[in-house]
Amino acid sequence: MPPGLDQLKHIVVLMMENRSFDHMLGALKAQNPAIDGLTGAESNPDTAGNKIVVQNIAEFQSQLDPDPDHHFPAVDLQIFNGDPARVPNMQGFVKSYFNQRRDLAHSQKIMYYFKPENLPVLTTLATEFAVFNRWFSSIPGPTICNRAFAHYGSSFGKVAMDLFYVNEPFKSIYNRLIDATPKHTAKLYYYDQTSSTMEIVNLLQHQPELFGTYKDFLDACEKGELPDYCFVEPNYNDHEGDDGEELASDQHPDHNVQAGESFIATIYQAIRNNADLWKSTALLVVYDEHGGTYDHVPPPACTPDGFVATPNDTGIGIEFKFDRLGVRVPAILISPWIPKGTVIDGRIFEHASIPATVTKHFLGSYDPRSPREKAAETFLDLLTSPALRDDCPVFDIG
Amino acid sequence: MTLLSNALISNDARAASKGVSLMAVIKVPAAPKSSMNQDRPVSALLKSQILHLQEAEFRLPAEYQTNIYIHSIQTEGDAGEYIRQVTRAIHDAHAARIRRAKLKTKPKRTSTKAAAPATPPKTKAKKAAAKKKSKK
Repeated sequence: MPPGLDQLKHIVVLMMENRSFDHMLGALKAQNPAIDGLTGAESNPDTAGNKIVVQNIAEFQSQLDPDPDHHFPAVDLQIFNGDPARVPNMQGFVKSYFNQRRDLAHSQKIMYYFKPENLPVLTTLATEFAVFNRWFSSIPGPTICNRAFAHYGSSFGKVAMDLFYVNEPFKSIYNRLIDATPKHTAKLYYYDQTSSTMEIVNLLQHQPELFGTYKDFLDACEKGELPDYCFVEPNYNDHEGDDGEELASDQHPDHNVQAGESFIATIYQAIRNNADLWKSTALLVVYDEHGGTYDHVPPPACTPDGFVATPNDTGIGIEFKFDRLGVRVPAILISPWIPKGTVIDGRIFEHASIPATVTKHFLGSYDPRSPREKAAETFLDLLTSPALRDDCPVFDIG
Repeated sequence: MTLLSNALISNDARAASKGVSLMAVIKVPAAPKSSMNQDRPVSALLKSQILHLQEAEFRLPAEYQTNIYIHSIQTEGDAGEYIRQVTRAIHDAHAARIRRAKLKTKPKRTSTKAAAPATPPKTKAKKAAAKKKSKK
């Protein structure tokens, strides 16, 4: 077993909000051609038939207002652009955004992407550790159903933001761990009570003891008392906190992207600052879905989930068998046991890869899981460095 | 190799990291305070979070419910206040449930004396009262 995997005691997942791979990391292709980002020639037609080319002029805030539509029908248009043969072509992003404000100039902003120097945290982590060329959201749809795949390996047939209750055969990854023999520890950390969690109906409602706050996470890192598995949620709204104003850090449009950068850096540093924790932890930073922003890679077909969303559920007049992934999102695996500049190519990951990986590492064989999760790639084989790295970056957070 | 320009790497921070020669120190600029906008209209994401919390709130005992009319929530500030109250209520109700469960399952105190009297011994006050009564 590689030494990194041998020493791995903790897996931490930080799930951010609503940005595509190309929007955040697409510019890295110019630095490293192995990263499947943008050449600068990618385009979409607008509703007037003009060719709208990608531009690296994305701003931290105020550009994507209104929030780009990312519900199932809108994402279907973004991916297929109305192609009757339903071949994914990623040509409908500008048209989809136009539908919201009917403003031709504004609709083109959906093609904007960030310069690397504007995202020092995310781009540093992507180039210093392992960046995934093919990590897709689990569903071509919005937040709640995509986050469900990270917790349960399934959304139990849901493609939207509505309430749902878990199907008993598929336990959450947290319950699998705490119910196991020997018992493991697991926690979801939401930012604070004013931001709370997106996992309300099933877990917060019935098992609030599974939850902690961001401050609890920092405290656990400092004391070396981190649970085996941790899922961290950012701050979802601007609010007054105990220590003053708290900026939303989820990067959901139209929240400030820089606040999210700082948040990612604090999670990294909290682990990095404790030497024992640093060498025994793998941190995955991933986004729940693309939030309507442009990406050039067509989502691939995947193992069906055993559920079917009706035409009424999908809103596009046809059913969905959970047999295609959603739009590609940024995903970075961080550990001092990962060789610098790793680019993972040729393998397809999605959010069901999270419970699949955690289950495999802590529990070994575990049968009652969704077909999607059983088929999902796992990622701990990436901790291949023969020695602990001593050149990992640190962040000086302003 | 990091993609950041050297301009982003603080010399002071580099000095602070002396002894670890290869380690880059990356400056992370803070978001401007002007980004704060609690009057921003609630997003679809927050709306669904509110609906989910309301569903959870309705299942709480009446004394923990907020009685906030969620359709009056228009801004992120309003949303945050509702989210805070319901999240706290869920935790409080859960803590109360645990306390009650502990009380129910609490084992009866067992005396170290194996042969405890069937009736509790009279206290000094009771003895005095009984004496007074018998005198009458």
